Amino acid sequence: MTAIAVGPGPAQRSALARARAWIANPWGRARFLVIISWAYAISSILPVIIAIQFSFNSGRSVSAWQGFSLTRWYWGDPTNSVWHDPTLQSALFQSLKLAGLDMAIATPLGVMLALGLARWRGYGSGASNFLMLFPLVTPEIVMGVSLYLVFLYLFTFIHPSTAAQVLGHVTFSLSYVVVIIRGRLFSIGRQYEEAAADLGATPWETLRLVLLPLLMPAIFSSLMIVFAISIDDFVISQWLSCGGACDTIPIRIYSATRGAPLPSVNALAAIMVYFTLAALVSAYFLFRYLTRGERPAAGHGGATSMVGDMGAF
Amino acid sequence: MIDNTFERKRLLAQLREEKIARRKLLKAFGSAGLAAAALPLLGRGALADEAGKQSGPGGLPLARPDKPVTLPLYEDPIKSGLAPETGGTFKVFNYQDYIDKDLLTNFGKLYNVEVELTTFDSMDQCITRLATHGVAPDVSDITPDRLDQAVAGKLIKPINKDYIPNLQANVWPSLHSPFYDVGSQYGVPYTIYKTGIGWRDDKISEDIPNLANPWSIFWNSQKYTGYVGVLDDARESLTMAMCYRGQYDINTEDPAQIEAALNDLKALIPICNPKINITEYQTLPQGNSWLHQSWSGDLLGAYVFYLPKGDDGSHLRFWGAPKGKGPIQNDTFAICSTTTKPVLAHLFLNYILDKDVAYGNFINFTGYQPPQVSITADSLLEKKVIPNNLKNVILTSDDAGVGSMQEMTLTPKGQALWQSAYARFNSGT
Amino acid sequence: MYPKWLWPVFAIPGVVWLLLLFLVPFYAVIGVAFGGVDPIFQSPVPAWNPLQWNFDSALNTLQGFLPGREYWQVFLRTTEYVAISLVSCLLIGYPVAYYISRHAKRTKGILLVLLILPFWVSYLMRMLAWVNLFSPDGYVDKFLIWSGIAPQPPDWLNGNPVSVILGLIYGYIPYLILPLLSALDRIDKSLLEAARDLGASPSRAFFHVTLPLSKTGILGASVIIALPMYGDYYTPNIISGSPRTSMLGNQIDIFFHGGPQPSVGAALTLFLSVFLGVLMIYYMVTIAKAQKEIPS
Repeated sequence: MTAIAVGPGPAQRSALARARAWIANPWGRARFLVIISWAYAISSILPVIIAIQFSFNSGRSVSAWQGFSLTRWYWGDPTNSVWHDPTLQSALFQSLKLAGLDMAIATPLGVMLALGLARWRGYGSGASNFLMLFPLVTPEIVMGVSLYLVFLYLFTFIHPSTAAQVLGHVTFSLSYVVVIIRGRLFSIGRQYEEAAADLGATPWETLRLVLLPLLMPAIFSSLMIVFAISIDDFVISQWLSCGGACDTIPIRIYSATRGAPLPSVNALAAIMVYFTLAALVSAYFLFRYLTRGERPAAGHGGATSMVGDMGAF
Repeated sequence: MIDNTFERKRLLAQLREEKIARRKLLKAFGSAGLAAAALPLLGRGALADEAGKQSGPGGLPLARPDKPVTLPLYEDPIKSGLAPETGGTFKVFNYQDYIDKDLLTNFGKLYNVEVELTTFDSMDQCITRLATHGVAPDVSDITPDRLDQAVAGKLIKPINKDYIPNLQANVWPSLHSPFYDVGSQYGVPYTIYKTGIGWRDDKISEDIPNLANPWSIFWNSQKYTGYVGVLDDARESLTMAMCYRGQYDINTEDPAQIEAALNDLKALIPICNPKINITEYQTLPQGNSWLHQSWSGDLLGAYVFYLPKGDDGSHLRFWGAPKGKGPIQNDTFAICSTTTKPVLAHLFLNYILDKDVAYGNFINFTGYQPPQVSITADSLLEKKVIPNNLKNVILTSDDAGVGSMQEMTLTPKGQALWQSAYARFNSGT
Repeated sequence: MYPKWLWPVFAIPGVVWLLLLFLVPFYAVIGVAFGGVDPIFQSPVPAWNPLQWNFDSALNTLQGFLPGREYWQVFLRTTEYVAISLVSCLLIGYPVAYYISRHAKRTKGILLVLLILPFWVSYLMRMLAWVNLFSPDGYVDKFLIWSGIAPQPPDWLNGNPVSVILGLIYGYIPYLILPLLSALDRIDKSLLEAARDLGASPSRAFFHVTLPLSKTGILGASVIIALPMYGDYYTPNIISGSPRTSMLGNQIDIFFHGGPQPSVGAALTLFLSVFLGVLMIYYMVTIAKAQKEIPS
C-alpha cells in the first residue's frame, strides 16, 4: 500500500507531523486495524501472563504481588505447592490421562469415520453426516446432562468415573477430528490414490502407503486439537466425575476460584500452559517436517496451513 | 498450639476440600422421596392423600421431632451371636471423603476382609443407585430424611442391636431412639452438626450472639457488602429466613410461608449482595468472607486446616441458635439389603461408634462431630484441639431429640415448592 | 479401486459410537422430561416408550418461561448477555480477523500464533486470570486508582453484570476469531482486486464485496459461540457468585445437582436445545453445503 504523501517531503517533516500523517493515513482503516489487532492480541494474552506471574508470588495472594519466589508454589511450600499437594497432582494426572485416552481413542475412530463419511455414497451417508455434525453445535451443558442421565438410568453399568469421562470426551472430540481430516482429504483429492492404483497397488497398500502418509499432517493436527479440547473441558468432566479422584484441572480451578484460591492453583494452570506450549512448538516443527514437500513458495505456509486445517469448519 | 495430629493430616484435608462441602449441600437437599401416598405396601395404587393428612413414601408417616415414627420391620433382623464372615470384600457406600481411609483399613485388618469404598455425589444418587442395583454395598451412609424411602423400597435391612453395644454405651442418650427411627431399628447416627452463623470478629463489629435477633445481622449488613454469604442449599437458606422471622416450622409446606422466606432472602440481595456458596470453611479464615451462614463442622475445619500461617484463629466465631430455634442435622449408617456379610455389617456399625475410632475419624479426617458422649467441648478445649472462641461448635446430647429442629422429609409437592423457591432466589427473580 | 463396502465399514464404528453416546443420551433427556416419577423414591422414571410420555410436568415447566413467571427473567437476562457479548465479540473480532487475513504480511505468522494461543490455554485458566485481575487489590483497580480514572473503583466481582459480560467476551472471542479468519481467508482475493480495478474505493470494496462474502463466515462463527454461551453456567459462577447475574444454565444446574426434580432440569434442557435447535440446524445445513462445495 502506498501512502500518498502530503506536504513537504519526508525528510523535512517534523516527528509530530510524521506521526500525524501516519495516523491520518488515507488507508486509515489499515492503521485502525493494526491497532485493534495488536491491542486484542496483547490483551488476550496479558491476563494469562499475569496469572502465570502470580504463580511465582511469594505470598498467598493471587491478586496482590508480594514478591518473587520461584519455587514456593511449584514445589517449595511443604503442604500447598503442586509438588506436595496430592489433590493438585491428581488433577494434573487425571487431565493428562483423560487427554491421552481421548487422543488414543478419538483419533483412529475419527479418521475412520472421516474417510467413511467423505467417500460413502449410499443410504445413511447423509444422516450419518448430520449426526456427526451435531456435537459440534450442541451446548456442553446439554451433552453433560444427557450423558449424566443416560449413565444413571440406562447404561447403569457405567458409573461416574474416569471411564465415563473418557466416553464423554471422545464423543465430543470425534466431530473435530472428522472435520479436520475431511478438510485435508478434500484438499488432497483422489489423484494420488488413483495414480497408485494405476501403478498396480492393492487397495490396502494404497491406503497404507499413500493415503495415510498424506493424511499425517491432519492426523497430527487433530491429535493436537483433541488434546487441547480435552484438557480444556470442564462441563462434561464435572458432570461425569466420581468425586475427588476424577477431578481434572479445570474442575480444580473452578472450585478454587469459588473458594479462597492460592497461587498453587495458578502454578498448576501454568504448568499446563508450559506443557501445551512445548507440545505446540514441537508440533509446529514436526508439522513443518511432515509437510516439507508441500509448502507453497510464499514461506509462511507452516502456521497458516496448520491453522487452515484447524479452521476447516 | 494445635495438636500435632492436625499438622500431620493436613494433606488429607486438602483432599476433601470442596468435596465435603458439596456433599453437605447435596445431602441437605435430598429430602425427596415422597409420593402423594401411593401404597405399594398394600399393593394398591390408590392415592391416599386425604384432606389434611400428609404421608411419605409407601404410606409411612412423615417423621418430625415432635412426631416420632416407628419404621415397620418388613423382615426380621439376623439372629444374635453369629460369627462374623471373613474373607472377600466388604463394601462401604458413602460420600467422597467422608470417612477416614485409615478407619476402613483398620476395620479390614481386624476382621480379615478387604474394605472397598464406593462413593456417591448426593443422596439422590445414593438412593437411585441402590434402587436400580447399580451398586450392591454392605453398608451405606444415609440421611434421616431418606430412611423412610429406603425402608419403603426395602433398600436397607433392620439391625439387631445385640451386635452394636456401642450404641447404648457411647452415643448420646437423645439419639438412642431418634424420632425418625424409634428404637434405632434401621440405622445408627454417624455425625451431627448445627447450622448457624460464622463470622470474623475482627471485621464484624456487632456482638452477634447478644443481639435481640442474631439472624438479623444479615439484614443489617450493608456495610459488609460483598463479604456476606448464604449457604448454597435450598432448605438451609430458606430456613434461615424463616428463623429470622421466628417462624420455626421449617418443614412447612405452606406456600405463603415459603414465599415469605423467599422474599426475605431476595431482600438480602440489594442489602449485602450475598455470595451463595458452601466454601465458608475456606473463605472465612482467608478473609474473603466476613459473615456467612455456616455449618458448625466447617468452622472447626476452617480453624484446623485453612488458617493462613501466623494466624491463630482467635477471631473466628460461631453462633448456633438454642434448641428448637435453629436447625441441627445428622447422618446415619445403615445396612443395605444387598449385603452378603450381614454380621460383619453390624460389626462395622459398632466399630464406627467405638470411642477412639469415632474420635480419630473426627479429628484426623472429617472434622464432623460424632454424637459421642465422650466428646465434649471441655475435653477438646483441654486437649487444645479447639480454641475457646469456637467452643460452641461442639454440640451436646441436649441439642438433639424432642424440641429440636431438623429438616426432614416433605411430600413431593412441598419439596417442589421449596426447590422452586430456591431456584427463584438463585435467579434473582 | 476400493471395494464398495470399505467406506461404510470404516464409518460404522464412529456412527455407532455417536448413536450410543450422543443420540441415545439425548433421548434419555426426553425420556426423563416426559417420564413419570417413582412413587417411593421420588426419582424420575424415564419413559422410553413414546406412547407413555407424560407431558404435564414438562408443560408446567415450560409455562415458567412466560413473561412474569419464574424463568422469564433468567431467560431474558441470558439472552441479553449473549446478545451483547456476541455483538461486542464481532465488533472486536471482525477487524482483527480481517486485518490478519487481508493485510498482515510480515507479522501474519506472529499474530496468528498470538491469536491461537488463548485457544490453547484452558478456558478456566483464562477466567481465573480475569478474576485475579479484577479482585479488589488486583491490577485493574490499582490502575484505575493510580490513573485517577476511578478513585473508587466499582465492585467488579459481586454480581456486576458488566464483569460477567466482559468475562464472556474475553472467554469466547478466540472461538469466534478462528473460524472467522478461515472464512475470510477463503474469500477469493481476485474478486476484491476486480472491484478495485473497477474503481471502487477501499470502503466501498469492503462494504459491497468483502462483507457480503463473509456473511456466512460471520453467521457461522456467531453460531459457534452463541450456542455454548447460552448454556454457560460456570462463567457467571466464577466471576460473580450472585443471583443477580445467573443464567439459564445455572437453573439447569440447580435442578440436577441435588434436587428431586431432575425432570424439571431435563425439561429445561430440552427447551434450551429446541430453542437453540433452530440455530443448530441452520448451521449444520450451511456446513454440510459448504463441505459439499469444497472441490474434491
